[in-house]
Order: sequence, then structure tokens, then C-alpha cells
Amino acid sequence: MSAQKKRTFKIEAFKHRVELDPKYAERTWKVLEHAIHEIYNHNASGLSFEELYRNAYNMVLHKYGEKLYSGLVTTMSGHLKEIAKSIEDSQGGLFLEELDRKWGDHNKALQMIRDILMYMDRTFVPSNHKTPVHELGLNLWRDNIIHSGKIQTRLLDTLLDLIHRERTGEVINRSLMRNITKMLMDLGSSVYQEDFEKPFLEVSASFYSGESQQLIECCDCGEYLRKAERRLTEETERVSHYLDVKSEVKITSVVEGEMIANHMQRLVHMENSGLVNILVDDRYEDLSRMYNLFRRVPDGLSTVRDVMTSHLRETGKQLVSDPERLKDPVDFVQHLLDEKDKYDKIISKAFNNDKSFQNALNSSFEYFINLNNRSPEFISLYVDDKLRKGLKGVSEEDVEVVLDKVMMLFRYLQEKDVFEKYYKQHLAKRLLSGKTASDDAERSMIVKLKTECGYQFTSKLEGMFTDMKTSVDTMQGFYASQYSETGDGPTVAVQVLTTGSWPTQPSAPCNLPAEILGICDKFRTYYLGTHTGRRLTWQTNMGTADIKATFGKGQKHELNVSTYQMCILMLFNSADQLTYREIEQGTDIPAPDLKRCLQSLACVKGKNVLRKEPMSKDIAEDDAFYFNDKFTSKFIKVKIGTVAAQKESEPEKQETRQRVEEDRKPQIEAAIVRIMKSRRVLDHNTIVTEVTSQLQSRFLPNPVVIKKRIESLIEREFLERDKNDRKLYRYLA
Amino acid sequence: MASRRGRIRFNVGGKIFETTATTLANAGRHSMLGALLDDSWNPRQPAEGEAAEAEYFIDRNPACFAVLLDLLRTGELHVPPNMPEKLLNREALFYGLLDQVRAARWGPFDGNRLQLVDSVSGRAPGDGTAIRAGPDGGCCVAHGSMVHVYDWMLEEHRPISLDYQQVNDVGYIDAESIVISARERLGKGDGGMGVFSSSTGELRHRFRVSHYDQVKSFTAGALSLGSSDYKIFASCKGRCNEYGIGVWDQITGQQVDFFYEPPGCCLGDADKLQWLDGDKCLMVATLFPRTDNCFIGLLDFRDKSVIWSWSDAGTSVSLSLDEKRVLHAIAIEDSRSICVVNQYDDLGFIDLRSNAGGVRWSSRSKLTNRKAPNEESCYPKLATHDGQLFSSMNDGISVFCGPEWVLTSTLRRSYGGSICDFSIGGDRLFALHSEENVFDVWETPPSPII
Repeated sequence: MSAQKKRTFKIEAFKHRVELDPKYAERTWKVLEHAIHEIYNHNASGLSFEELYRNAYNMVLHKYGEKLYSGLVTTMSGHLKEIAKSIEDSQGGLFLEELDRKWGDHNKALQMIRDILMYMDRTFVPSNHKTPVHELGLNLWRDNIIHSGKIQTRLLDTLLDLIHRERTGEVINRSLMRNITKMLMDLGSSVYQEDFEKPFLEVSASFYSGESQQLIECCDCGEYLRKAERRLTEETERVSHYLDVKSEVKITSVVEGEMIANHMQRLVHMENSGLVNILVDDRYEDLSRMYNLFRRVPDGLSTVRDVMTSHLRETGKQLVSDPERLKDPVDFVQHLLDEKDKYDKIISKAFNNDKSFQNALNSSFEYFINLNNRSPEFISLYVDDKLRKGLKGVSEEDVEVVLDKVMMLFRYLQEKDVFEKYYKQHLAKRLLSGKTASDDAERSMIVKLKTECGYQFTSKLEGMFTDMKTSVDTMQGFYASQYSETGDGPTVAVQVLTTGSWPTQPSAPCNLPAEILGICDKFRTYYLGTHTGRRLTWQTNMGTADIKATFGKGQKHELNVSTYQMCILMLFNSADQLTYREIEQGTDIPAPDLKRCLQSLACVKGKNVLRKEPMSKDIAEDDAFYFNDKFTSKFIKVKIGTVAAQKESEPEKQETRQRVEEDRKPQIEAAIVRIMKSRRVLDHNTIVTEVTSQLQSRFLPNPVVIKKRIESLIEREFLERDKNDRKLYRYLA
Repeated sequence: MASRRGRIRFNVGGKIFETTATTLANAGRHSMLGALLDDSWNPRQPAEGEAAEAEYFIDRNPACFAVLLDLLRTGELHVPPNMPEKLLNREALFYGLLDQVRAARWGPFDGNRLQLVDSVSGRAPGDGTAIRAGPDGGCCVAHGSMVHVYDWMLEEHRPISLDYQQVNDVGYIDAESIVISARERLGKGDGGMGVFSSSTGELRHRFRVSHYDQVKSFTAGALSLGSSDYKIFASCKGRCNEYGIGVWDQITGQQVDFFYEPPGCCLGDADKLQWLDGDKCLMVATLFPRTDNCFIGLLDFRDKSVIWSWSDAGTSVSLSLDEKRVLHAIAIEDSRSICVVNQYDDLGFIDLRSNAGGVRWSSRSKLTNRKAPNEESCYPKLATHDGQLFSSMNDGISVFCGPEWVLTSTLRRSYGGSICDFSIGGDRLFALHSEENVFDVWETPPSPII
């Protein structure tokens, strides 16, 4: 009840005051104006907040809001004009300090004024669309201080001068800088941008343009990049210390533009220190710096990439066309692999594994590997070398690594079918001579080829492995059945090879010595007995034999020779001297092979079980051969190799090429027929492109050859030319 | 009575209050109490043990201060029955605590827990056209050429008068600004749309329509305010075939787009526009009795296409009086459908996913008893809020919930006649009655204490 009484009393008190004094508003405002003065003069401790708030409240309540508001604007403007004067009068270096101090004072005063006028801010301001007190205070500060003629330019000059000094190595008062830029930001982003950021960026651009001009004259590429990088970090740091976060992108783009984009070409092509030198020296740190800097500017990375690509192509071209290198295929391929490793490392270490760089690397390799048409052969030889001996004592994982690398090169090859041809030959030799070091490695290589090129590519290679395996079983079966008859006589190990799977040349078998003939016939009977409907032909040109020989002083040696050589030596069991003609007649070995065999038997020092008259390096048709009684060797077992080049000789190469071309014909024809069957009518150019794309995974067909194949198909009436348009072909079902 | 650390003593109008700094912190720095205790106004911190005299005097009503202090302590508002609301609000405004008072008054909107808290009778001579809820709990009512504005305390402000132009629709941009669309009077070249201050009723901005750089006068019909991208949409009818939907920017006030009416779609006469945030398109509904055939369409302004439309033209040859007619429509984005209502208060749904679907009517009309046909009735209206669907019919509002839209509540009052419009906003529901020209305010009470 008492509360209610008090309330009614209070409300009446308000009503009285309204009627009270006509000069009330003026008087109340004087109180408030005085308070604002006191606040600005740091003399607010005597003021009563409650009283001031109540006064401001009453003024608004009694519709004197407008008077209060305009009074505030006038009073505050007056104070700010005084402040402007004192800032203008401040001595040189103290200018910023003074400005900062006054700004702090103003903010504090503004907060207190806002407290007093809170009621006005809440009611009068929104309904009359006035600027709220806080914002008003900032606007007045901006107009009276920052935009006053004498301060505006001085402030900008001082700030830019300080930043310049910091760039040249001086230490400046960063916290003061931060306060000032913070003030500009508080006044609105447009104030910060117009009054500071824009000129700042302009000045920075001219600073860095000058500096970069100077640096590029006296620094090498690596050093220049280091300096540019340092400048970039400096600017980022500057932003984090005392600029607006949004300025970071702008200032770094200025530095990037001036220091990198404008000098890009000159940097990468700099004499003695440009990109090519850095690449050659494997300077990962410089490369990675260059990548990171150039990535920031438009066309930066493509510039780096182009230089790298052209350098790669140039060196690659030299590598594959260097006649010295061509002498040793293994070395040749090893060099390619090393080069690939080098750039792989660069891309992963310095270029962030950038896909576009990887692509450039791949296309460069593809370009220059195929410049040399012996690359497929050499790669196959490299594998051959590794699988024969190179991988002994190497762990399985390392084998995989080597093979994977080879596969990488294989992928670059355009003529994959040529590789296949050589690989088949080399594999056959390895298998037949039992030289494969590791069966697992061989199979792993086949699997890799299979995943890369498909089943078709490797089916014959796999067939070869199967033949080897069944041959072992067959021999076991053979000797089990012949158990009773085996005595001291010679033994044979026959490998039954499926025709077609192996790269065999049809050759007439030579005359086998009588000692062998018997067991050979037995095997033939056994094999045809177990496998009906097959035909066996002896491939005497591919076999080997171990024969025991006794020489003049009774010393015994075991000679490891080829089948041909065995045939020749066996002739000497019955005669000590034979002429070339006699040997040729006795063995029926084709002349080139015979010459080669004789050469290896008679002309190689330390392995000359035969003696030749006259003594010379080459075999002539009227030479005579003697059993070399005086042959000695430290070893019991003597391996007599055939004088056969690992690498193909020129005519052989021609032959292989010929065979490859021959093999391609049906493939091209099949592709043409496949395409025409589905499309019915096509013009010449489209057929060529389609055929090329279909066969790309195996080889790159020559358009001339395609044209010939089309003509051949027309002859055989698979296709016909359109009667009206001669360029069109029609499929004939 | 030695004041210890953290305790604060007030003398309000002669009565002593003692409280803690933590309680007062709930008032916030931007309140009178927050400023009073701020360091800048108390330069000398009273030392420990001293300060028995450190007492803040405030020359205000102690009874109200007690209520407000209790609000700061507990977050709840308990007004003694003998204390007029107006008095309390005035005191809260003095202390800068009006927002806290408003927040404590009513809880988050829930259609099933609504309570009638007030009925405000209007002074307009004729029927009300429309009522719109403001974002802060206020509302405005359009009658003829006047718009009456009420703040959340239901105090009436200066009405907005349009000088005999008929108001077609109103909408809040924010608590301070109201958009009004008005009919053009023949030969006067007026009409159109404007933004008015809700507190003073002043015109702040007029929206223009220009065709080929020529400013045209036009009649603005239904309004829709896009919430996410600050756009205003209005159906427009100009003198020279400038029929269509105009689009303006809420901030700049400039026209940003115009969707000309394609043949077969009535856009300029539309009764209801609704911006669909998810689909970024505008629903336009032109309904009986403005046109004989209902048309509902979805407009995509990016490529100026009608991406979906429905019309009852040609569905039935003979339109008898008993035919079910679509009288109001509202899009429910979550269920990808448009809800419509007919003269029997039946709800119907049209699927937005297929273009040629018909209305799937629910058979609710059999459940509710119809009013006697002789009583004057209003066209039904629909609204949605937070997964609840509201439908006005005669003197009540039905609330539907759940995926099947089951009737869960009915809001009805015994007098006032049928409801001609209602609106939900600021956690309140306002229903405008036609006969007595009064509007009801429904709100959700704050959650119970336990």
C-alpha cells in the first residue's frame, strides 16, 4: 500500500516540473554543456552521473531533444577544433603521439557523453533519424581532425615516411602506428582506404619498382628470389603488426607485381644463374622458392614450366642422339632413368608435386624418347640385362622399383609393339639358355606389362613360360620311361616350344652327330607317343651342349658350347684336321652361323679349342681347322660363347623393323574394318584419326601405311569408294 | 550495513535497495545502471571497509525499481496487479531495460500454447483491410487509406495517412520502417509504394517503377519482403500494360528488376506473393474473386521464367456456387507443396514437384460445423510459422501440426465477428475482426518455472 502511495506522489512531481519554468530547457542544457566541457578537460570527478542522466532524460521527455542534440554537435565540434589546433602545433616527431593521445581522450569523453545521453540515443535518435552519439563523435573527429587541411597531409606523410624508414631497416614505434591505423579503421573503412591505404599502395609500388630494378642488376637469380621472398614476409608481418588485415592481399600483390611479375622473363633466363642452372645443380631450395613466388603471379608457373620443358627436351634430345651413348644400351637407359629420377625429385621436393609440372615432364620424356627409334629395343635390353644378372643379391622390393621405373619409360614409348617384339626375343634367349636370375622378377614384369597393355599383349609371353614348365615335366616323363636304357651315352634336355609363341625363325636343322641322333629319335618317339597329332622340328640354332674333351697332355675340360659348336667339335672326334668346306658339308650349318661359330672356337684367346690356318681374325672359305692339342685353361669348365652382339646389328635391325611393319599391317586392317563396320561411311581423314586413336596404345601408325591398307581392303572388296564423293569410303558387308 | 565487496546500495526515491554487482551486470553496459557503475563515472574506488556512504541515489519510482531489480535477479517479470503496465514500461525505458522487459513478457511462439492477452479496438469507420505483425511484437492495421501503427506495448503511434489512396497491402522492413502499397487514383498519377516511419508516420522513400527509363505511376498490390537478400516484391499494374512483379532493394530503395506478365499468368493482380528462400523464387497467387480463375505460379527472376504453375481454368465446365474454390494459398517449402483453402474451410495441397497435379483436398470440412449461411463471413486466410499451419475461418483460427497437418488447436473468442485477416510475427499472433473493428493479440506465455 505504501508503495502505491509513493508512486502516485512521484508521477505528480513530474507533471509539476513540466509546467514549472519556461527557461527550464536552457538551464538544463547549461548543466549538460558544462558537464561536457568538464569531461573534455579531464575534470569529471565532480560530476554526478545520476543528475546528468536525469537532466538529459527530462530534456528529451519534454520535447527538447532537438535542442539537446544540436547543442551536443556544437559543443563537441568546438572542443574538436581546439584539439585540432593543439595537434597542429605539436612539434615534428611528437605529432603522432599527440594525435594518438587526443584520440584516446576523445574516445573516453565520447563514452561518457554517450552514457549521459543514453536516453536520447534510445528514443529521440532513431525516431528522428539522427546519427547515434557514438557515430556522431567519430564523424566529427573525422571532419574536424583527420580531414582538417593541416593535419590530413601531415598525417599521411608521417605514416608513409615511417613505413619507408622501417623498410630501409630502421626501428619504428609499431604500437603507435597500430593505434593510428586502428583509429583510421574505426572511423570507417572508407577513411582508412582513402586517407591511408591507397597512397600507401602507390608509394609501395614505386619503392619496390625501384628496388627490384636495382636488385636485378646486381644479384643473381637465387639471391634475387631470396630477397623478394624476404620482402614479402616483411610486408605480411607489417600488416599483422599495424595494418588492416584486408590490406595484406593488396600490398602483397603490389610486391608480387613489382618484384616478380615485372621481371619474370629476365629472372628465369638470367645468365649463369637462371632456371636452367638451378635445375642442373639440383638446388631444391631455390627451385622451391621460385615455385612459391611465381605461383603468386599470373603466368608465373607457366613461365617456369616452359623453361623447364624446353631445357628437358633439349638435354633429352642430346641424350638420345649422342652416338657415344648408343653404344651401350644399358647405360643409355640408365641415363634416361637417372634423368627421370632427378626431375621427379625436383617436382616432389620443390614444385609441390604440381600436376601440371608432372605432365610437362611426361610429355617431354615422351617427346625425346621417341626421337630415337631404337629406344624400345634398348629398354628391352636394359630389362634383359637386369633380369640376367643385374638383380642378383637385390631385395624383392628393389627389383620392383627398378621394374616400375622401366615401366614408366615403357609408357612413354609410342612403338610398344616394337618393344614387345624385342622383349619376346630377349625373353626367349633368357629362358632357353636358363639365364633368368629370378622367376618372380620375370613374372612380375609380365604382370606389369599385362596391366599396362592388356591380356593380348602378354599372352604369348605367358605361353613361353608355360612351355618351359611343361618341358620340365616332359623331360622327367621321358627319362622315367627310358630308365633302363640310359647308360653312358649323351643325355638331352628338350624344350618343346609352341610355334607362334616364340620368336623362332624357320631354319633347316643341321646334321646332328650320330651320338645325339639316337636319343633325339627316342625322344621324338616318346613325345609323339604321348601327344598325338603334333609335329616336332629341331631348332638346332637355339640349343646348348656340355661336352667333355680330353686334350694333348691328358687334361680334361668340360666345354659349354652351342648346339652348332657341338656339331662342329664332334666332327673332330674322327679327324684332327678339317677344311671349312668339309665342316660345312658335315654339319649343314648355314654359312653366317657357321662362320660365327668357328670364329668363337678358333679365334678367341684362351678359348681356342681349334686352330686355324692361316691365323687370322676372319674366317675364309678356304681355311683349314685343326684340333688344338695345346689348349690349356685354368678352369675345368670352359664356356665358349658365340660371337654374337648383344645389340642388333644393322641388317638385323632392318629385319626386325621389317617384321614389325609386317605385323602392323593386319592390325591396321583390323582396326579399319572394325571402324567401318560400325560407321558404314567415312571420309579418309576421319578413318585415319580413328585408326590412330585405336592403335595408340601399341604404336603410332603411319598415315601413308593406313592409306595403303585402305587401298588393299578396297582391292579385296571390304570397302569401296563412294561413287559421287571419292573421298568417302563405304563398308561392304 | 557496512557495504562489503561486490555489494551495491541504491537509494531510489528514498527507499534503500541493496544488490550485487553480478545482478546489475545483467543490465548490460548500455543501460543506465551499467553506466552508473562504470569506472569512468567512479574515479575513486572506495577502499575496503570504507564506503558506508557509497550509495547511489536515483530520483525514480521505487516500486517499479523493485520489479525491475527482480527481473535482473531472476530473468522473470512479475508485475503487481496494481501497477499499470505503462508505468513500468516508462521506468524500464528510463533505465534502458525495455528490451529485457519485452523478452520476459512472452515466450517463443508456439501455436498450441497461445493465450489471448489483449484486444485493441480500432477507430476506423470501415472494415480493416489487413493486419501485419512487426518483427518486435508491434503491429499495423490498414483501413481504407489509413494505417494504424502500434508498438509492442500496444501503444498507438501517429497513424499513417495516405490522402484517400486505398491501401492494398502493408509490410514491415524492420521495426522502424513500414512499406505500404496503394492504389492509383484515376487521373491523379499517384499510388504506388512508399516506406514510412513507424514511430512518426513520415514518408521516407517512394519506390518508383520505370519502363524504358521513364518513371510511371502504378497501382501496387500484394507485397512480399525477401528476408535473405533484402528485396521487396510487389504486384504492379501500370496504365500502359506494365503489368507484372516489380522488385526493389530494401536498402537503396531502387528498382532492381521487373517481371513482365507473360500471357496466361495474372501477375499484376496477384493477391499473395511469397518469397521462397530455398528455391530462390517467388510464389504468386491470383485468386477468386479478383479473377474468375485461380492462378498460382513460381517465378524465377534469374532467367525470367515461370518454373511451375497451376490454374483451375478449365477444370470444370459449369462453375456452380457450391464448387470448391481456392480462396487463399501459401507455399510450404519444407513439404514441397502449396497449401490452399476453399470457402468451406477445407485445406487442399498441390504438389510442387509435378507440374500438372491437381489439388488434393483434405476432408476436414465434414468435421467442423459450418456457420449458418446467413451470417456475414470473411474469406479464409492461411499462414505458416515454424512447421505449424494456421487457417482463419469465420471467427476462429485453426492450428495444424505434423506431416499430415492434423488439427491441434483452435483460437476463438466469443465476440468480434469473423476474422478478416491475421498475421504472425515478433512471437505474437494478431487477428483482425471485421465487425467490431478490433484486433486480438495472442502470445505464448513464458515457460513454467519447473
